[in-house]
Amino acid sequence: MDPITYKLPHTPQGIQKPGEPVKHISSPAVTGSSVLGIKYKDGLMFAADCLGSYGSMLKFKNQHRLHAIGKSTVLAFSGDVSDFQYMQETLDELMNSERNWEDDQSLGTKSIYSYIHAIMYQRRSKVDPLWNSYVVGGIEKGKPFMGYVDLYGTTYEADSLATGFGKHLAQPLMRKALEDKEGDLTEEEARDVLLRSLRVLFYRDTRSLNLYQIAKVTGEGVTISDPTHLDSEWEFGRNIRGYGF
Amino acid sequence: MSITQYNGSAIVAMTGKNCVVIGCDKRLGQQALTVDMNFEKVFRVKDKLYVGLPGLATDVQTLHDRIRYRVNMYDLEEERAIQPDNLAHMISNMLYQKRFGPYFCEPIIAGLTEKDEPYIMGMDLIGCLSSAPDFIVGGTASDNLYGMCEALWEPDLGPDDLFRSASQALLNAVDRDAMSGWGAVVHVITPEKTETYHLQGRQD
Amino acid sequence: MVPTEHHGDQWEPYVDNGGSTLAIAGEDFVVIGSDTRSSDGYNINTRYDPKAFKFTNNTVLATTGYRADCKSMAKSVQAQITKYAHDHGKEMSVEAMAQMLSIMMYQKRFFSYYVFPIVAGIDKEGKGAVYSYDPVGNMERVGFRAFGSSSALLQPFIDDQLGFKNRADIKPEERELHLPDLQQAKNIITDVFNGAAERDIYTGDGLQLFTITKEGGIELEELPLKRD
Repeated sequence: MDPITYKLPHTPQGIQKPGEPVKHISSPAVTGSSVLGIKYKDGLMFAADCLGSYGSMLKFKNQHRLHAIGKSTVLAFSGDVSDFQYMQETLDELMNSERNWEDDQSLGTKSIYSYIHAIMYQRRSKVDPLWNSYVVGGIEKGKPFMGYVDLYGTTYEADSLATGFGKHLAQPLMRKALEDKEGDLTEEEARDVLLRSLRVLFYRDTRSLNLYQIAKVTGEGVTISDPTHLDSEWEFGRNIRGYGF
Repeated sequence: MSITQYNGSAIVAMTGKNCVVIGCDKRLGQQALTVDMNFEKVFRVKDKLYVGLPGLATDVQTLHDRIRYRVNMYDLEEERAIQPDNLAHMISNMLYQKRFGPYFCEPIIAGLTEKDEPYIMGMDLIGCLSSAPDFIVGGTASDNLYGMCEALWEPDLGPDDLFRSASQALLNAVDRDAMSGWGAVVHVITPEKTETYHLQGRQD
Repeated sequence: MVPTEHHGDQWEPYVDNGGSTLAIAGEDFVVIGSDTRSSDGYNINTRYDPKAFKFTNNTVLATTGYRADCKSMAKSVQAQITKYAHDHGKEMSVEAMAQMLSIMMYQKRFFSYYVFPIVAGIDKEGKGAVYSYDPVGNMERVGFRAFGSSSALLQPFIDDQLGFKNRADIKPEERELHLPDLQQAKNIITDVFNGAAERDIYTGDGLQLFTITKEGGIELEELPLKRD
């Protein structure tokens, strides 16, 4: 009889033999699910839950997935956490080397976005991708900017962006909110649609958590909230047989 | 490549003012090899009722035979001429009877009703009917035909203009499709008569 | 079309982001149309991601296929064009740029750009020029060309309207005499893109219409397309 084995999410597909072309481990281990971003009147708002999954296991329940880069840029990621940490180190290095000029200048959102895209496209071209999708946004020279990059090096900009399941579940809600208000949401309306989206994601995405953070970029700079509990409603299940009540 | 694309075909049906046209290419191939240059895929059912059968040639012939049989039986049993919508549902039903081992053919029906109103109907290979007010296309050149028809079709064309639009759509569509072509046949159906035109096309 | 499915556990480094382009050369102008939708499968990534790039005062590069490659390719072309201008003290001609792009694409023969480009501009004789390529750099100068997810819908129609194919009213030897005027060409592009947006889910949202003339340089119009 074959021994019982458990295949971890990051188990390499083959073993490297000398002389063979380099094979890469190209499947994610600890992962984050959807992140969301939306433009509103005073700037941009981002949302993500605080889960770092390991396969189907809820491994890290305090994983921060929204990060400030410099003074007025937010980087939100989904996908592999360690690949993100590599990206973060690379960006820190970049920001430090820019600071060392001591010329009171620092990279703007578009430059950071462009740099992230360059790394992502370079890695896909080596067929060794960084397993992430990013939403990068901020205010540069008074103007809001928000862009998306993924492991294929695909980039695009829009007034609302989402990754992973959020593309299917949150993007329609955000696009509707923007359309109804002709792209001019108040802070409350932006927060409202993000929270509604997160709640839908919590209901329908199995790799999600009811603990979230919201980040804001305005002319004042970046603020990232503490992990906050997301309220949800399960009473409907009381009358359904087999729901677990 | 799908088995529906094995022999190659192109069929278009268009509605006009009190008239319809239906046309097809003439090629029969086995993948890239052309075997016959005079293989018609549109068949007369009644004077003002035609059916186009794009898809696998063997099923085109079998279906044509079975349709003829069923229509003859209808004539004998009902003692009245079959109407286009009756024929559409009859074929749809025939196809669904073979739901789990289908004929690889997506029939298109074109004709005039009792009141001489234009009627066109398409369906998939298991008989799911789909109607359209303007045109129905089928076969390996269907994408090309969609592009042509979307640009050339306009409402209430007379038989001559409709013939021109359909012929133009068909010939230019098959010229950008490697699997169909070698001339075309177009039937123009009007209340008075049905005229059949054989069009010279590129021979490559 | 290059297949983009996943084969087993081997990761595929290509995506098809859809969209269509169409260029028409006239006697002394060219018009280039391209839609602005960018999609991935059934998702619309964004409704506005222009895929035609303006170079010099005389050349437009319109692309479809894999957007990351499109943008990367356009960036390399831009770099070469800027370098050329510095080295030679003049702008690169369309003919030169067309040949250069063919070479650049063939240099990536064994890990090719998944891009279907069209280069359009005014040539040295003042005539409208359209160059079309396959993803590995096979180049051809043509009178008109459609590429992308709607190419099968667009190309037969312009064969008919501009190439006068299968037209009993115009003799084959007279085809060359019937080049379209600017307004005709623009009308064909807008009409045909509305048709494509009707039937192709990957084409829609917006239409960018570039017009290049010797006197006027490059002009851009933006028009709405169906968003569903």
